[in-house]
Amino acid sequence: MIATFRLMRQVIVHPIDFFHDIQEPGRVKWLQALFIVGLAYIAKMVAILITGYAFQTREPYEISFLNEFIWIVVPLFTWTVSNWAVSAILDGEGKFKEVFVGSAFALVPYAIFIVPITLLTNILALDESSMYTFLIHFTLFWVGWLLLLKVRIVHDFELVKMVWITLLSIVGILIIWFVGILLFGLINQLINFVVDMFKEVNFRR
Amino acid sequence: MKQVSKFRFVVSTAIALLMLVTALPVQTYAASPYEGYTRNKLGDDVHSINGYIYESSIDGYDLSSGPFSAPEDVFLADDGTIYIVDTGNSRIVHLNKKHELLGIIGDEEGDGKLYEPKGVFVKQDGTIYVADTKNQRIAIFDQKGKFQNQFGKPENPLLGATFSYSPSKLLVDKRNYMFVVSDGNTQGLIQIDPNGQFKGFYGANHVGFSWSRLINKLVATDEQKAKLSVVKPLEFSNAVQDEEGFIYTSTLGTEMNQLKRLSPVGVDTLNIVPRRYGGRFDNGPFSVPSFLDLAVDKDGVITALDLQSSKVYQYDKLGNFLFVFGGLGDQNGLFITPSSLAQSPDGTVFVVDKGRNRVDLFRTTPFAELVHDASRLFVDGRYKEAEGLWNEVLHLNGNFDLAYLAIGKSLFKAENYKDAMTYFELARSRYDYSIAFKEYRKEYIRENFAWICLIIVVIIIALRYILPFLWRRVRIMLSARRLAGAAHIKGGVPHDRNL
Repeated sequence: MIATFRLMRQVIVHPIDFFHDIQEPGRVKWLQALFIVGLAYIAKMVAILITGYAFQTREPYEISFLNEFIWIVVPLFTWTVSNWAVSAILDGEGKFKEVFVGSAFALVPYAIFIVPITLLTNILALDESSMYTFLIHFTLFWVGWLLLLKVRIVHDFELVKMVWITLLSIVGILIIWFVGILLFGLINQLINFVVDMFKEVNFRR
Repeated sequence: MKQVSKFRFVVSTAIALLMLVTALPVQTYAASPYEGYTRNKLGDDVHSINGYIYESSIDGYDLSSGPFSAPEDVFLADDGTIYIVDTGNSRIVHLNKKHELLGIIGDEEGDGKLYEPKGVFVKQDGTIYVADTKNQRIAIFDQKGKFQNQFGKPENPLLGATFSYSPSKLLVDKRNYMFVVSDGNTQGLIQIDPNGQFKGFYGANHVGFSWSRLINKLVATDEQKAKLSVVKPLEFSNAVQDEEGFIYTSTLGTEMNQLKRLSPVGVDTLNIVPRRYGGRFDNGPFSVPSFLDLAVDKDGVITALDLQSSKVYQYDKLGNFLFVFGGLGDQNGLFITPSSLAQSPDGTVFVVDKGRNRVDLFRTTPFAELVHDASRLFVDGRYKEAEGLWNEVLHLNGNFDLAYLAIGKSLFKAENYKDAMTYFELARSRYDYSIAFKEYRKEYIRENFAWICLIIVVIIIALRYILPFLWRRVRIMLSARRLAGAAHIKGGVPHDRNL
């Protein structure tokens, strides 16, 4: 536990060292990465709960625990798979575990700062919202920057290649989603077909 | 025996009388064929009490003039008389308040003969202006219905060579200028002076910016451009004037800003923020309402008729949704093909149903009267006076969002910011909530200034001294433990602090 907090501190204070360090075998565990993802999810839900009324963009009934969870886990997971696959083809050095752990730990600034920033919405009026949006954007850019840094250091790329791999990874994410939705639809059809067939045969017995 | 039968007689008579007495005051309350609803801030339809109930119809069968045929317009004059444009019979039927025939406008022969007129306007002195559509002219009759004058197709180079004149609706302002709606004309209302001279277009709709059009313009060749359909501004379907002389128009073929209040120079003053009138899902998904006619009462309440859903929508002076009634169907209170509407000073709404050759009358319910009273005060900014009325509205219908907003504004004005915030939250008005919150925050800080200062000082001390102190202690403890662990690995004595 304390090791996890130490890693969180390191990713915020010395991100470059952190991404070098995680490549050492046995330095980080899968469980620690999952812990960070869970922390980010909890932070997000807490932030939704404590948002001041004027800053709420959704009605309570529009928010679902499951949906929020999916919106954190699915993008992160597809990003990991896509980034790992793309860089494995294009001479990246990173292992799947390193990619996953690095991506998960990139969420640390979000997990830590989103709640205090959201607390601000309870003392700000709408016309002062620029402060709030600036801080939120700052945190998100921080997360994005950490992700880029991870691509660069874990796979040992130079700058241009890092940008190129990132773009390819995003394309990969879209392809994965497309195929996933396609498969979902097809399997749905197949199941319906089998069920209908069964019903029909049962009917004419 | 006789005694028994007498007793029976008395009892049965008493029962019969009792039944008669209980049965007598029975009034039949026909359920309205449409459900009343209002719209909340999220754009959802919320059940509400009906504002208007079907009362009666005028179909002309009991008049000596005979039944109407495809009527297109109705005009309620200031003296309370009713002018019905009986388009299919090419005449205007003039009725009094009790719906009895006063006269027929439109001669059998000569210049006064009308040919499928579609609109009428009656000035305060009784002069009748008829949009004589198929004759392509404005015909003018005096108050007795005698033909006086006519204005044909206006001539002007501005109108262009392809201009086709088909006057369908018109209004006359205080200067006797005519504002004519011509079917299919997209350049605005045609202004004609008292001498019949064309004086220009008024209040035209504009073609807005569109990305696809910009890209087309950049990419397409000249031949392709020639094949593209020309984008024209939207067409007005009707125009009315309120007591202050503002002209209100209804526009066809758009989802936004279908109703407008035009300033004397033709600028829309109703929709400062673009607004969507009518219902988006009333007639199947994503249908575009087509407003055919509108009426404005003395308080600025706008009542507008949508052909797509055959419903009548009512908005207050600021464009807030108030009521809706009508719909498509055969029952009394629904319409087959509505074509026009008007509102009498007592609030009765006249809707012309072209498809059923009659004019339907709708009366306001007590709830609507209450809302109208409250909204009049609210629109004038007399929030305090309106508050009681709005509370009564909420008592009858807790779903009426506008009431929460209005009460919130009243409380805000009374500097009761905390309660105002509650009401603004109920009205889902984040903007107003935020403004009230700012005032509340100011007040709160002023009252608790000492405490807030104290807390800030405590936080600073905690962050500067106490936290680092605790942190040092924890680190010492941790390193001690690690040393102990290291000693353990090395094979030293466990828990030996003097290592």
